[in-house]
Amino acid sequence: MTLPSADAGSSNSFDARRSRGIFRSLLSDKSAVLGLGLLALIVGSAALAPPIAPYGPNEANPALRLMGPGTEGHLLGLDHQGRDVLSRMLYGGGLTILTGLAPVVVAALIAVPLGLVAAWVRPAGAVILRLMDVLFAFPMALLAILVAAFLGPGTLNLLTALVLVLLPYAVRVVHQAAAHEVVLPYVEALRVSGTPVWKILFVEILPNVAPPTIVYSCTVLGSIVITAAGLSFLGLGVQPPIAEWGVMVSEGRSVLFVAPHVSVVPGLGLTLLVIACNLVGDSVRDALDPRTRATLNLSDNV
Amino acid sequence: MLKMLLGRLLAIVPVLLGVTFVVFVAMHLAPGDVARTILGFGATEERVEALRAELGLDRPILVQYAHWLWNLLHGDLGQSIALGVPVSDVILDKVGASLLLMASSFVGAAGGGLLLAALSGGAHRSMRDRGITIVTLVCASLPPFWIGIVLLYAFSYQLGLFPSTGMVSMVDPGGWLDVAHHLVLPTITTALSSMAVVARVTRGSFIDIMNSPYIFAARAHGTPRRRLVRVDAMRNVLPVFVTISGLQIGYLFGSVIFSEIIFNWPGIGLQLYQAIIYRDYPVVQGCVLAVAIVFVFGNLLADLIVHALDPRKRA
Repeated sequence: MTLPSADAGSSNSFDARRSRGIFRSLLSDKSAVLGLGLLALIVGSAALAPPIAPYGPNEANPALRLMGPGTEGHLLGLDHQGRDVLSRMLYGGGLTILTGLAPVVVAALIAVPLGLVAAWVRPAGAVILRLMDVLFAFPMALLAILVAAFLGPGTLNLLTALVLVLLPYAVRVVHQAAAHEVVLPYVEALRVSGTPVWKILFVEILPNVAPPTIVYSCTVLGSIVITAAGLSFLGLGVQPPIAEWGVMVSEGRSVLFVAPHVSVVPGLGLTLLVIACNLVGDSVRDALDPRTRATLNLSDNV
Repeated sequence: MLKMLLGRLLAIVPVLLGVTFVVFVAMHLAPGDVARTILGFGATEERVEALRAELGLDRPILVQYAHWLWNLLHGDLGQSIALGVPVSDVILDKVGASLLLMASSFVGAAGGGLLLAALSGGAHRSMRDRGITIVTLVCASLPPFWIGIVLLYAFSYQLGLFPSTGMVSMVDPGGWLDVAHHLVLPTITTALSSMAVVARVTRGSFIDIMNSPYIFAARAHGTPRRRLVRVDAMRNVLPVFVTISGLQIGYLFGSVIFSEIIFNWPGIGLQLYQAIIYRDYPVVQGCVLAVAIVFVFGNLLADLIVHALDPRKRA
């Protein structure tokens, strides 16, 4: 997926009144409600997996292996080892969401101090930005594959690879917003009044840098969910027999022509999850980014 | 124009150096001893030592990098561990098939995206616009590795319309038409989500521009709506369209890997996948490097086209 433009959001301050407006505008946005509802459904069912799943994730009934959806007691059928697909979907949901969400959150948390410092200390900033430029020269999925291939398979290595890949983009977003702030009169005033640098950066500037960072994180979430599942599909992330939707699609490939549901069902779940993420991401961007909101209003008047 | 081209080409040099450094250093991310990891735990100590010396792992990392870079400039990427042939041969062998798939996917993604954008953005808030918006949202959310599997099952296995594997028919190889027939499903798999992203972004630009004063003026003059979309607005949408299409090149590289694996397309992506499975690290490095270099030049090309299309940027 392409990365949304880094200049999403601008220097407008993010005060309480505006944030209430944002929640209201999110709730009045039908696609946001649909996305949030879908997301709540997927997260909720994944969180409730142990009590509601009919079987354990690796509980096999070899006698019924490859039976299709609608088999007695197995709503979504069984896989090549005779495990219940529905139960594996429920148990795998958590890890699928986590491997997409965690890198986005961690990358944003690392990017904020890096970006702020890069905007404040010019020479250090130049070095940080040059380093990030080199990483932009790689297609995102490819860099993730490169890093994951050398780190070796495993969930933790998958997360590390994704954080590394996301970092340059997140730093660019924070830096761009922060560079816009540091030249404003209020920062000058703080500096003259002797406010400590850390306080200027993390107490005064940070709240103004947060909205674009949040917008970026929300819009990129869907593509990171796909990339994470894709790496697991390649055998570079979550390892079988752990239930995870990318792993499940991959496992189903070998029995595709006999029992297509083994691959199709987890892929469908993944698609729904990504649709939900993209709906929410688009809506958050519309709510927080005054520029697109202005264009929407403009078209309303026509 | 020439001056700008030279400037951009010069600016690429440090980027390429950085790319080679990242690809080189990645090998040192491997936990434990690289030579031991490559050979597996059954290998004798002498064999590990020999490989370590061959890879130059006993020297300081910058020396190793300089040495590796020097060899790279001479077209020497080392030997494939699994195949026993030079990595450069492996890559040159596969790069054509990947570029063909990339090119057809790019044309599909950009062309389809622009068409959908004009159809929906040119008629903002119509039923057609809403329909296309929903379709592009779903397409943009499809994991390439899954949609490939679904297409394979539906169109190749169930309907028998398209071949399921390879680049040419094994039984009766039949020239370009045969290749084109094999190309259909992998191209759709690779291009679908990029096409949707191009359509979404370009649609936004269409809507903005359709609301600008010069379009109102043209409308007031009685220019037919079709002409407004196809000619008047199109000219100003093109820079946005080319930029977002150019950005897709990188994403297409990611998707190509999956469609090559699913459809057994004999390109760099499939080779990369096999190299990862066999821990053939020199081939992994070579494949990633080849793709990254193509990517850097692809971006440069997109930049130059935007520059040529938008007179405001020439000032």
